[in-house]
Amino acid sequence: MGENMTQALIMLLGGFIVVFCVLILLIIIVKLYSKIVSSVQNAADNKKATPQAQEDAPVSTAQPVTVSASSEPADDGEIPGEIIAVIAAAVDAVYGSQPHRVRSVKRSHSRSAWGRAGVAENTKPF
Amino acid sequence: MEILNQLSAMIVGLLHDSGFGSLSWQNYVMMCVSFILMYLAIKKQYEPLLLLPIAFGMLLVNVFPGIMGMPETHLETYQQIIDQKLDPSTFATVVVDGQTYYEHITYGGLFYYLYQGVKLGIYPPLIFLGIGAMTDFGPLIANPKSFILGAAAQIGIFLTYICATALGIFSPQEAGSIAIIGGADGPTAIFVTTKLAPQLLGPIAVAAYSYMALVPIIQPPIMRLLTTKKERSVKMGQLRPVSKLEKILFPIIVVTLVALLLPDAAPLVGMLMLGNLFKESGVVDRINKTAQNELMNIVTIFLGVTVGATATGTNFLTIQTGGIIFLGLFAFSLATASGVLFGKIMYWATKGKVNPLIGSAGVSAVPMAARISQKVGQEENPGNFLLMHAMGPNVAGVIGSAVAAGVLLSVIPH
Repeated sequence: MGENMTQALIMLLGGFIVVFCVLILLIIIVKLYSKIVSSVQNAADNKKATPQAQEDAPVSTAQPVTVSASSEPADDGEIPGEIIAVIAAAVDAVYGSQPHRVRSVKRSHSRSAWGRAGVAENTKPF
Repeated sequence: MEILNQLSAMIVGLLHDSGFGSLSWQNYVMMCVSFILMYLAIKKQYEPLLLLPIAFGMLLVNVFPGIMGMPETHLETYQQIIDQKLDPSTFATVVVDGQTYYEHITYGGLFYYLYQGVKLGIYPPLIFLGIGAMTDFGPLIANPKSFILGAAAQIGIFLTYICATALGIFSPQEAGSIAIIGGADGPTAIFVTTKLAPQLLGPIAVAAYSYMALVPIIQPPIMRLLTTKKERSVKMGQLRPVSKLEKILFPIIVVTLVALLLPDAAPLVGMLMLGNLFKESGVVDRINKTAQNELMNIVTIFLGVTVGATATGTNFLTIQTGGIIFLGLFAFSLATASGVLFGKIMYWATKGKVNPLIGSAGVSAVPMAARISQKVGQEENPGNFLLMHAMGPNVAGVIGSAVAAGVLLSVIPH
């Protein structure tokens, strides 16, 4: 029993140290190779980009501005009736035959439409 | 009259051969347990993909124990073979002390052969292949610090090992197998148990999968208890995008390093990373799909029914099973708590940039544990999306529990 407990304590400390060391080593290696990969890729991208830089530059800067401007609906506090109808239909589709009622619809100010699309895209596989 | 006698003798013989004649009360209790598990799997949908085959395997083995029966070879004399109205020329013979014996082989039950995949440690790594093919390590590569949380949650394993040893009713091998329940990883728990304490496989597998199914009930109270409202409301910055090359290199680097350091973890981590390389390389789409779907499903069926079939009445209804069920819950809660506490340390170290709730996802149980972090976080702040941040520690937990399994296997003599 006493011997078993000593072995168990050694296991606790040893296991702890080994698991942490291996995973910390992995952190260092992942960080390291991420840096190497991104620097190699940046170098490759720069090489490719230089000849076309003159043509590409105006287009790539101009586009996001126009898109993001049009994607943000004017926020005057009022939600159009059509949107409320669509939300109510979606709620109905989810709850089906269970009794339900939409009491209020509030605009969430947490993210832009693009931000929400990004979140949806990232979380879809899970 | 003669006909009536023979008929009654036949009916008595049939009754004697039937389950009613040969089963013990433990078998009937286990049948009831299997009915409860089937109810939980079908009605409550608790991990039905595994719980249903496990419960059915449990039912079958307790109704008909012969389904797990081992093959046997009897040496019989010429007369014994003739008495059974068998043809002696169809048997192999051996000569012992000048006497010729016939090798009469009786074959094992169906589950005996399917169980070899569990016993020889084949199914768990194959399941890991499928898990690897389904896992996106992107969140972990984007935020490698998540590895710390994946390691922290493994503390539960080693603390439970001490407690199981202190109880005095378990050998070191058994204590190690029970402790691994804290890794919240079914295949890892089965892999370790078959190597260290195969006699406990039934109770440990049932405990591990039951607690994984109960993650949504066990974890949130612990997470709320250990964190403040302010900590739970922390919004984390967006993760950086991870390039394809990084994702391809990750499995190769991890497997090389882990297998070199802990050869005992190589089968699990190796197959996990092979599956992941199938996915990330993008050049073997057919194999990738098979690993994720068909192979995974086939192995899940075999693993489930045969693990369930180890839970025979005499094996399962012991004081040790009670201890395992209790220690399993203890291991699970401890793992969650240590993950959250390390999450708090990271919260302080980063001056409030890390939400400690993602720490609890360090206990593998992919992706359920990460979903719980997301859910508890969103209760405080509906605009908070922790899911991707929690997937980092979650997949790190899979690697962490495989590493912990490697430590247990290399330190405990078996």
